[in-house]
Amino acid sequence: MASATLTSLRKPPAIVTRFGALALFLLGWEAASRAGWISAFIVPPPSEIYNSFEMLFVQEGLVDAFLRTFGEAFAAAGLGSVIGIAVGYLLHRSKLAGLAYTDWVAAMASAPLVLLYPLFLVVFGRNSATIVAMGVVGCLPPIILKTKEGLDGVKPVLLNVGRTYGLTPWRQFRMIQFPAALPTIFNGVRIGLLFAIINVVGVEYLIVFGGLGQMISDLGDRFEIAAMFGGIVFVILVSVCFFFITEKIETWLLSSK
Amino acid sequence: MTPALSIQNVAKTFSTAQGDVRALDHVSIDIRAGEFVSVIGPSGCGKSTLMNIVGGLVDDYEGEVHLDGALVRGCQKQIGVVFQEESTFPWRTAIDNVAFPMEAAGLPREARMARARELLELVGLNGFENRFPSELSGGMRQRIAIARTLAFQPRILLMDEPFAALDEQTRLLLGDKVLQIQQELNQTTLLITHNIAEAVQLSDRVLIMSFRPGRIKRVIDIDLPRPRSSKLMGGEKFGQYVAAIWEDLREEASKGLQDMERVRAGA
Amino acid sequence: MAAVEQIGGRAAAPRAPFWTVTRLRVAAVLVIFALWEVAGASGLFYRGVIPSSALVAKAFAGLLGSADFWFHAGVTGFEVLVAFAIGGLAGAAFGLLLGVNRYTGAVLEPFLHYLAPTPKIVFLPILLILFGVGVGSKISLGAISCFFPMALSVAAGVRQVNPVFLRVSRTFNLTRAQTVRMVYVPALVPPLASGLRIGLGVAIVGCLMSEIKLSRMGLGFSAMEYYRVFDIPSMLAVLIFIFLCAALGNMAIDRFVRLPGPQDRVRRAR
Repeated sequence: MASATLTSLRKPPAIVTRFGALALFLLGWEAASRAGWISAFIVPPPSEIYNSFEMLFVQEGLVDAFLRTFGEAFAAAGLGSVIGIAVGYLLHRSKLAGLAYTDWVAAMASAPLVLLYPLFLVVFGRNSATIVAMGVVGCLPPIILKTKEGLDGVKPVLLNVGRTYGLTPWRQFRMIQFPAALPTIFNGVRIGLLFAIINVVGVEYLIVFGGLGQMISDLGDRFEIAAMFGGIVFVILVSVCFFFITEKIETWLLSSK
Repeated sequence: MTPALSIQNVAKTFSTAQGDVRALDHVSIDIRAGEFVSVIGPSGCGKSTLMNIVGGLVDDYEGEVHLDGALVRGCQKQIGVVFQEESTFPWRTAIDNVAFPMEAAGLPREARMARARELLELVGLNGFENRFPSELSGGMRQRIAIARTLAFQPRILLMDEPFAALDEQTRLLLGDKVLQIQQELNQTTLLITHNIAEAVQLSDRVLIMSFRPGRIKRVIDIDLPRPRSSKLMGGEKFGQYVAAIWEDLREEASKGLQDMERVRAGA
Repeated sequence: MAAVEQIGGRAAAPRAPFWTVTRLRVAAVLVIFALWEVAGASGLFYRGVIPSSALVAKAFAGLLGSADFWFHAGVTGFEVLVAFAIGGLAGAAFGLLLGVNRYTGAVLEPFLHYLAPTPKIVFLPILLILFGVGVGSKISLGAISCFFPMALSVAAGVRQVNPVFLRVSRTFNLTRAQTVRMVYVPALVPPLASGLRIGLGVAIVGCLMSEIKLSRMGLGFSAMEYYRVFDIPSMLAVLIFIFLCAALGNMAIDRFVRLPGPQDRVRRAR
């Protein structure tokens, strides 16, 4: 243990090394690409990708594409929350239904559901409805599972407090169960939203329709490689920021309780 | 005079995998208005079952519970329960916790906030209205729970080992607080406890329960002058009461301990 | 008093209830089938969009008898297995590294943590440039997808190993390899199983989505071909086949990765 403490004293803080490593990686990439060790056409240097952002914003309508993709993802997560929380509540309320179907929902969570999109394509056509529907399919399992988990985990004594005041089942849900389970449900909705984003971008890319997925697909087809990398970097960065922010909200929610 | 609370021949049997367990066996208790009664017994004597029955949380039992002479079953607004476990709502501030039952009853906001403020003052928590339970100590949270229970001026205050999770000193000071509230409101109270000193300090009468099946084994009247406080504990009479109760409780507690060890050995 | 006995009696002697878990499950399957048939026959959708289950079953049987189908299934199966092996092994190794070496973990794990929930499909255009339109780009996307959940589960699993066991192993002067084998591996079985399960799912998605996007073979390509000629029963049959294979894969993981788990250890100790 003592040696571990000593070595950690000599090492710089993890965050410094982390961003140092990132900078080194980018510099190495830049150098390799400029020196021609890797083809600048196939893998353009970071500086060129960075410069392509102007084109993305001005000519390619990056902002619109972003708003569209995230609008669809949020719509999907909103719809998914309504359905998912209701289903999660039913699975919690009926013990038997919970035993019968919770495993199914868990299996759905790791099943390749996004591959169902051709089915939705034939039902809804090649439009936003298909994309939102695929987002809903993606976000339902975590929302259902987390809602049930949250409601199952409400401390019995809090429910008893409600019972001693003779609360109706609806008030019991609204005043006690729901707020008590809220942090867990929020966690489910947050994961659901991420899954919705993944499905929305994926389907947009596959059917070349609307939003960031279509933009990347188009740029690739036109061999605008630097801009295509820019689009990819943008999607990654936005997802990371999004994940980061919702994670902070969640820890804040938990700490204020 | 009709007793405020009358528990008549209450009994309850649980069926478990190892067979039926008689948790309570024909328990009868009468409590006068304004009286403070404690039920004391070893773990497993059915204290909690008794409290669940009176609190209305269990309704398949034998026997009857009367409130001011009227038969009741299920949860009653006139019976307020303070639970042993942490029962404040972590997502509500202190004042919103206390206002909870009034909100559930549909009182307008102004009225319930005014009343909640009064109650917080009664338990000595003025100034902490807008704190969340996580920012307060265990003793303060339990005072919030007591204030919340008093919101509707219940006929009976039922407390289930309300200080069990607290340290000894906090427990004594909180006992003083309960004595003071009792004095001010003349509150009829049934306290379930396993702490002998606490029972003597607070009660007019102490009922000692036997280990399984739970029966009232003995009743001891605590003839100590009121108003009381935790300072009583130094007195000779206090010590005699504690000794007398322990005399009876010892046998039951060791039965309970033996039973527990037998169960462990079997597992 | 009689009423009391009645209430007590209900709790004491439960009658065998009509609804059991199995019956509920069967009922759900039947309801789904019925809804499907009703939706198909209702005329609310274009003709042929929701074909009756008999047609789908016929198409399914037709697929199983066709050599062409098995060729595509073989290609996809090969891609998924290779992607799963590469991504899974790399992920497990990387996760182990991050978990065992605290400093490396602190430096690199945030990258994994934040990259894991991003849509991997956007890497496909790069992979197409790097590896061409053959199986290479499919396998690499599947492997990348599989890498993240594997690495994160294993790293989290390593960190959850009870520190007391590590102190014990130190007092016995175990080598690092011995510690990994005797302390870490047994504790890692549950996170490994969940990592593999998620990893397999996303590897399948990765491979099939890239087949759908740009390919001339594989089940994804095959399903899209049926969609293009509007042979919906065959398209659905392909999808059903994919889901059945995914379910079988999950069952295999549950069956084989659980065996040396801690539950069995406890049972044997008794």
